[in-house]
Amino acid sequence: MTEATYDIALCIGLCLLTASCLRAQVVSLKAYPEFLRVDPFGQVVKADLPAEATQASLNIGRRTIRLTCARGGYVSFHLIAEPGDGESYSLELSSATGGSEIQSDIYREWFHFLESDKAYYPDALIPIQLPYRSRFPEPDNRISGQTSQAFWVDFWIPSSTPPGLYRARAILNAGHHSATLPINLNVLSTVIPERDVVTMDHNSYGSSWLGSQYPGLVRNHPDFYSSDAFFHLIQAYHRTFYEHRGIFHQLGYGHAGKVGPEFAPALEGTGRSRHIADWTLYDRHYSALLDGSAFAGTRRGARPIPAVYLPINPEWPAQFVNWGEPGYEVEFVNVVSEMERHFREKQWIETRFEIFFNHKKRYMGFPWDGDEVRFPKDNQYFAEYARLLKKALPPDTPVKFLFRADVSWDMEQQFHDLAGMVRMWICSGGILSWYKDAPQRLRERGDIVWYYSGPPNVSEPSATISKFPFQAWLWGVDGFEHWLTVDPGADPWFHFEGGSTALVYPGERFGREEPIPSIRLKIQRNCLQDLALLDNLKSRRPLDTLKAEAARRYNNSRLEDWWNPRPPMADSPPSDWAGTGIDDATSRTSKMLAAIRSDAWTQVHEFVMKLISEAL
Amino acid sequence: MKLLFLLCVVCSLPAGAAQPKASARPTTAADAAPAIAAKLDEVARVGSVMTDGDLCKRIVTERAQKYMFTVDPRDQWLAGDNYDVNDEAFIAIKKTLIRLSRLAPFPIDVNLWMPIKGHPDKIRVVIRNSHEMSQFWPWGALYQDMIPQMKTVLETGKPVTVTDKPGWVSVLAPVTDSLDDVVGVLEVVTQIPVDAHANVK
Repeated sequence: MTEATYDIALCIGLCLLTASCLRAQVVSLKAYPEFLRVDPFGQVVKADLPAEATQASLNIGRRTIRLTCARGGYVSFHLIAEPGDGESYSLELSSATGGSEIQSDIYREWFHFLESDKAYYPDALIPIQLPYRSRFPEPDNRISGQTSQAFWVDFWIPSSTPPGLYRARAILNAGHHSATLPINLNVLSTVIPERDVVTMDHNSYGSSWLGSQYPGLVRNHPDFYSSDAFFHLIQAYHRTFYEHRGIFHQLGYGHAGKVGPEFAPALEGTGRSRHIADWTLYDRHYSALLDGSAFAGTRRGARPIPAVYLPINPEWPAQFVNWGEPGYEVEFVNVVSEMERHFREKQWIETRFEIFFNHKKRYMGFPWDGDEVRFPKDNQYFAEYARLLKKALPPDTPVKFLFRADVSWDMEQQFHDLAGMVRMWICSGGILSWYKDAPQRLRERGDIVWYYSGPPNVSEPSATISKFPFQAWLWGVDGFEHWLTVDPGADPWFHFEGGSTALVYPGERFGREEPIPSIRLKIQRNCLQDLALLDNLKSRRPLDTLKAEAARRYNNSRLEDWWNPRPPMADSPPSDWAGTGIDDATSRTSKMLAAIRSDAWTQVHEFVMKLISEAL
Repeated sequence: MKLLFLLCVVCSLPAGAAQPKASARPTTAADAAPAIAAKLDEVARVGSVMTDGDLCKRIVTERAQKYMFTVDPRDQWLAGDNYDVNDEAFIAIKKTLIRLSRLAPFPIDVNLWMPIKGHPDKIRVVIRNSHEMSQFWPWGALYQDMIPQMKTVLETGKPVTVTDKPGWVSVLAPVTDSLDDVVGVLEVVTQIPVDAHANVK
């Protein structure tokens, strides 16, 4: 190269660099890991700032992203578009995946203004088609001064994908400028097990909320609650949770025994003549869920829902007016026997049909607590229903009827007194933390053990939601239940309350007759993938070693830190305890888990990826 | 307002639901609500006679009453977690209320309300029933401010009909004990049309 040529090349190079820098000031496309949520002004939200990180150090984002993933699952990140003030823009993704079946799902992140924090948090994820064209501020989100739009990117890696490196590019065009973000996907050969080690349950109550959240559907279907649209909507909720490695429960009766018509077959008669008169609504509600056809076309494949609540309560199918008399037994046994026959004839034999008493006496429907028994005298009712159930069901039935109890105060006594009757325990996490030996003991006798709590508020660190499945796995229990997951509040879009009773949002605002997911649900799903992989490694490493290392990486804890000592008050009757005493006796774990760093799960994820890479 | 309510009642009345006997079926708009109110009145009148006020007083335990107004800033569930009832009294009265509700040929509930000793400005529902209907109970409340119409019943021993909420009719009737003191109130209530999905939670 001559000196002149060198000078020209240098000059061109500097010009290009300058132009690139200028462009970078105008149009920017950055990638952020899933645990760092970004607000509409390009700042990482306060809750996701790890203790030692500064806002400046995190706001750089990445101009390229490299993701390592197993097959048969998802890998995700945030894409942050900054097209420049007041400009229209378009976003597209060019895939260079070489004819593989890798698919991408892109969602626009809705920024919810949280009054309590006076700050925006992204959470609801609106599915979009690419190329996506819009302008700032985003017309429907209406945020004055918006400079950044966040998108959640999911890559779905089918288990048939050949391992190797795949490349894609995200491209942001705004006016005459553009920015490109290279994406490298390193697909490992390991396949994520289909079955989860922890069942994540998403609970709900009744179905009137569907009418409230989908007013357009109600307007278009005068008989909404018996329309196909209604049942399709319910199935859409099941599908959404299923695709996120979870399940969905809908309780179909109230605290005084009122049963929603679609949750139970219609009954007629009284006493000896009480019988099922009509299965129509029940079957329209449940057939596709119980035979699995509702899940046809999903990535995880069609399979029946694993569990469903029965409508059985103290007022159904037997009438409470007959309680304690021969008529109650006859009504209960006859109708439950009919149900068993119906389910058997339909071959609905893969799903657990759960007898679950949700009522509390504080709601004045019945004189005993079905949910969270505190007063031991109430356990006699469980024993009676166990007797009735046994009488109603053929001993060799292939239908899985299961007596379940949600327990807290009196759980230790109930584990003992109701052994062989209640076979599924949904436990208060705080109180279960005193009984380290209980999960193994219960599971050894064939019982199912879950614990419950509720979704974290969006203003908590992004990884907070991972503590539930993680603790369930560390504890060796079968599952976890979010007690309410479909209630985002009256106006989640502009008057958001934080989302602590929602992990999905109604999609109607965006023209969708289905729920849309949340960032928290996605993070939970990705955590479950890692747990399935991690647990699968127990054939190569002791499970306790895997758990101990995962706990260390998660929050520098030891396995014993996840339990509380059994307090002295546990030796006295639960009716003598104070609620504040429970808080005190669970303070060790609650303090530890109150401060989950946003990157806590990433540390575990990297551990999992390292282990499966080594195993290849 | 009253006319609007009557129209609401008639327009929303399921055919034949209110009155299965042809001879009792209302034939005009003005007839419908009085017919329903009359049936509720009848149930209330029988209920006042048949409901044992002494037994009602034994339903809520002393423990529950003690904690009902106890406030602990560290324990927001204190009152509810200590709410307890005497099973036998509860069951006996509930069965009576269910039987009373069957006097009507359309869906009604008969709820038991009781004043709270030492808190004359408060009242609480003590037993609810399977249609989960009430014109007054805000879902989940252990007690609430005294309802003026219930206060009237407690003070006068006379029934009162309330149609304040569109689509709702409640007849409030006294419950007396062996001293002939008015110790509670029956809410004999229906909603037209019945909302099959409300309170299924």
